[in-house]
Amino acid sequence: MDYRNILTVCPYCGAGCGLYLQMLDGEMVGVLPAKEHPVSQGKLCIKGWNAAAFLRHPDRLPRPLIRQGERFQEASWEEALRLVAEQFRRISSRYGPEALGFLASAKCTNEENYLMQKLARAGFKTNNVDHCARLCHAPTVAGLAAAFGSGAMTNSTPEFSQHTRCFLITGSNTTEGHPLIASHILKAKQQGAKLIVIDPRQVQIGRLADIYLCPQPGTDVAWLNGLMYVIITEGLADQQFIQTRTEGFDQLWEVVQQYPPDRVAQITGIPAAQLQTAARMYAQNKPAAIIYAMGITQHTTGTDNVKCIANLAMLTGNLGIAGAGVNPLRGQNNVQGACDMGALPNVYPAYQPVSAPEVKAKLEAAWQVEGLPEQIGLTVVEMIHAAGQGNLRAMYIMAENPLLSDPDIHDARQCLEQLEFLVVQDIFLSETAQLADVVLPGAAWAEKDGTFTATDRRIQRVRKALPPPGEAKADWEIICLLAQRLGLRGFDFAGPAQIMEEVARLAPSYGGVSYERLDREGFLQWPVPSPDHPGTPYLHKEKFTRGLGRFLPVHFQEAAELPDEEYPFILTTGRSIFQFHTGTMTRRSPKLEQEAPEPYIEIHPEDASRLGLKMPGKVRVISRRGQIELTTRFTEQIRPGVVFIPFHYAEAAANALTQAALDPVAKIPEYKVCAVRVEPIGQS
Amino acid sequence: MKENELVEILRGCAARKLPELDGLLGILRTTEGAAPYVFHHCEELAGLVLSPRYPLGGIVRVLQARYPKARLGVVVRACDLRGLVELAKRGQVAPDRLYLLAVACTPEEAQHCRCQRPVPNPTGWPQVEVLGSPAAAAEAHPLLVQNERLGLAERWAFWRQEFAKCIKCYGCRNICPECFCQACALEDPLWVERGILAPPFPTFHLVRAMHMASRCVGCRQCELSCPAHIPLTVLYELLRRDVAEMFGYQAGEDLSAQPPLSLSLTEETTPLPNP
Amino acid sequence: MGEPFEPRIVAFLCNWCSYTGADNAGIARMKSPPEVLPIRVMCSGRVSPEMILRCFRAGADGVLVLGCHIGDCHYISGNHRTAKRIPLVQRLLSYVGINPERLRLDWVSSAEAPKFVQITNEFVQTIRSLGPIRQELGLPRMGGGR
Repeated sequence: MDYRNILTVCPYCGAGCGLYLQMLDGEMVGVLPAKEHPVSQGKLCIKGWNAAAFLRHPDRLPRPLIRQGERFQEASWEEALRLVAEQFRRISSRYGPEALGFLASAKCTNEENYLMQKLARAGFKTNNVDHCARLCHAPTVAGLAAAFGSGAMTNSTPEFSQHTRCFLITGSNTTEGHPLIASHILKAKQQGAKLIVIDPRQVQIGRLADIYLCPQPGTDVAWLNGLMYVIITEGLADQQFIQTRTEGFDQLWEVVQQYPPDRVAQITGIPAAQLQTAARMYAQNKPAAIIYAMGITQHTTGTDNVKCIANLAMLTGNLGIAGAGVNPLRGQNNVQGACDMGALPNVYPAYQPVSAPEVKAKLEAAWQVEGLPEQIGLTVVEMIHAAGQGNLRAMYIMAENPLLSDPDIHDARQCLEQLEFLVVQDIFLSETAQLADVVLPGAAWAEKDGTFTATDRRIQRVRKALPPPGEAKADWEIICLLAQRLGLRGFDFAGPAQIMEEVARLAPSYGGVSYERLDREGFLQWPVPSPDHPGTPYLHKEKFTRGLGRFLPVHFQEAAELPDEEYPFILTTGRSIFQFHTGTMTRRSPKLEQEAPEPYIEIHPEDASRLGLKMPGKVRVISRRGQIELTTRFTEQIRPGVVFIPFHYAEAAANALTQAALDPVAKIPEYKVCAVRVEPIGQS
Repeated sequence: MKENELVEILRGCAARKLPELDGLLGILRTTEGAAPYVFHHCEELAGLVLSPRYPLGGIVRVLQARYPKARLGVVVRACDLRGLVELAKRGQVAPDRLYLLAVACTPEEAQHCRCQRPVPNPTGWPQVEVLGSPAAAAEAHPLLVQNERLGLAERWAFWRQEFAKCIKCYGCRNICPECFCQACALEDPLWVERGILAPPFPTFHLVRAMHMASRCVGCRQCELSCPAHIPLTVLYELLRRDVAEMFGYQAGEDLSAQPPLSLSLTEETTPLPNP
Repeated sequence: MGEPFEPRIVAFLCNWCSYTGADNAGIARMKSPPEVLPIRVMCSGRVSPEMILRCFRAGADGVLVLGCHIGDCHYISGNHRTAKRIPLVQRLLSYVGINPERLRLDWVSSAEAPKFVQITNEFVQTIRSLGPIRQELGLPRMGGGR
């Protein structure tokens, strides 16, 4: 009777909730919330409760697969790794390192992401390494790094229920996307904190808000500038903070003064009086936290939106104190960590630029290699295009599913089909894996040791509870085996703890991280530069990472594609609480799938009756790039003229409709705005 | 008695009893945290603690199903004991093979939980040892009093707002020591529409409250695991009082007392048929 | 406003007594209220709290449960459960602010056709005076469906 509980971290969103896996005689018998966890505090959302449901699904890949014509053949690790090594070496020597692309994964551990970028850089001398952070918070990293010098969430989740007196939530469906962060917000609200929600959809948290404002999608810069206009003209700005901690206020005012509430109302549809009330509420209740997610970043103006948010927080002195700040909620369990580990084309671990000679020298010495590439590599969407143009010949994709998550997926598929060689490492035969030449079976979150870094820079241990099915292996082990087969040095690790030791040596903000400390202290929040440093709950305390905070004024620009006569609706995409991303895990978890088994479109009843739609009924949704069919759901919680589709469903992939128009800086696609037409089908 | 003194006494009792048992279920604290664990060796008992509280009834159910013959010890609080009593009445645990070390909660703990019944009541349980000194019942939840004072419209305004926060995690049910049905009415689309946040008309919460009416033992685990901080136990406590007043029944107090009502004709011990 | 209130009432009738009572009322040409939608169940004990709540969810303004007199149950003790359960559901409704008068339990035997007519008429009056449930609770009107 061996009953024990293993403490680990939920594999879904970036909140980083703690949970126990209940083990009886080596078999998993259930999940328990971790009562003492600082974020989840003994609570979980439905995904957390069901986080282990897919682990023993019959679709799990037990052995490597090698493509034989149209079909896959099971193969030994020996055969599969030999083939991958041969092909990558051949393509690299024939076309050069720039013909290779590597996708790391926000689902994998820090250690695995570190190894992936090390493989790309030290092994193949290319910076073509990226991951799905590109599709969520690349503008955050770019925008906040420019304003503050650090691109991460400034504050910590537990502060919301302890300190925050006002929340400004925008572009975050918090109760569905980050339920346990919402839990802290709801607690604060119960204790009297103010809640402002600004979002084109009146999502659940919007219905609970003190003030809810409903802007036209894609007009965020306008209303953000409008809030600042009100705050400045009514004398609510924090003058002392502006003078002592920031630079560039005059330039900000030059831009912001062109956004009086009346003009903002014309652009955004937010009534002037409501905008003023919101501005006053935010400015007068300190500490105030701004919380945002994909609704801000997934735009061609994503970086601009983030800059405006940074401006607003600086203007009111809401930085460097507990419970305030600019708080981008990261969508994946380890998207923060994958970025921290340098799984990005422009930076090494801890955001050390690839172009800096001293950094290059340091890493060449540490990795015992020469000639690390200085040129910035390709981003996800650029890699896919380069594949289509024949410039990228081979790709190694670890635990990502771009064929459902990338914009304009029909085009993405055609591009990936051009590759000479595609390796996909995953736990299921995902849409992307089905296109691969070699599929390597990885281990799921509960089947390996490692660390995840949650959205509030919280580094936590994930622990192995079960062995992977069949011959599947932990992703770090697979990368090491491949590297050894390629004859690379520096990949002979005994385990993740040893990999983290190397990370701690090379990544300054992770300098004090060790498994021993994590086991003892539970978590560490970076920057934690040395073993005796306690970690950093909130950033920019006395001074910004870059010294002074910099106001970065921006003007409103329209979205790339606006509705017209032919495509009269704005489509915006997002999440449902019951599913996650491309559904590879949640759709194989019975209790999650039964809640939301089929794709749907949310549409305002006025629009629906104009189009003669029925509920439930089927519609066809058409954009310039594709069309899908799904079920209707009428709701008054969306603006007329706007429709919403969750992006989890392969059978009606929202990303068949979206466009690959990119933010010029962060290269994020505009998932949140594109023009579509809605037609009823099968109705008389 | 302070909690640390109590823990010492508990460890002593556990060490004395452990050799006669096939395992002792309690909370183990390690450097990583504290969670339920089955102790086998006296050396391990240095890690045996009393808090945080985890619901143990469900774990006992799983362990007894796998090891029907085992003699299992369980460290319980008053509420855990009540939970096991109700489970035993419904055929979910076998009391004759369970040895209970029942610990009375300290006055601070009772206060913290607003517990009305912090002292274990072992009436009818075959093998049980009660430790600790009895603490007085705490004051009732202020919302209980408030709810009685409010008019219907105000009550609705309050509960409507509370239920609007629900994110349908099913945590209240998942953590509940008394919820063991294979097929749950809350997941049945006939009663609760699937896939909508918050669950629209409060059928979710009212169905659950009715199912708790003669079962809820007041352990508060549901409330503690609610991400939306809905004061669920206020509703359950109101119904518990009604059941006590109408039928003279107190859930978990007496192993021989039979539950006065069954909620639907498909009894709790048999799964609901799929529609 | 404006539209006259047409209450929608669900009545669960026990097959062995109340349903026969209702039937006999019809045979005797007694007029019973058209607002009541009868649902025949094998025993009033079959009426679970879920079924009652589902009726309210689906837009019913009132729910009536009629069973055999205590002692007359075809299944001996089925209506004992009803007798315990329904008052509890009424209290629960009142605790969350839903008027418990929207749920009524009574006993009608097959010989009591006039009583059936009297109770249903009374209940319709009660519900009329309470008004539409969705209005009282501030819920959106039911769209589509029935």
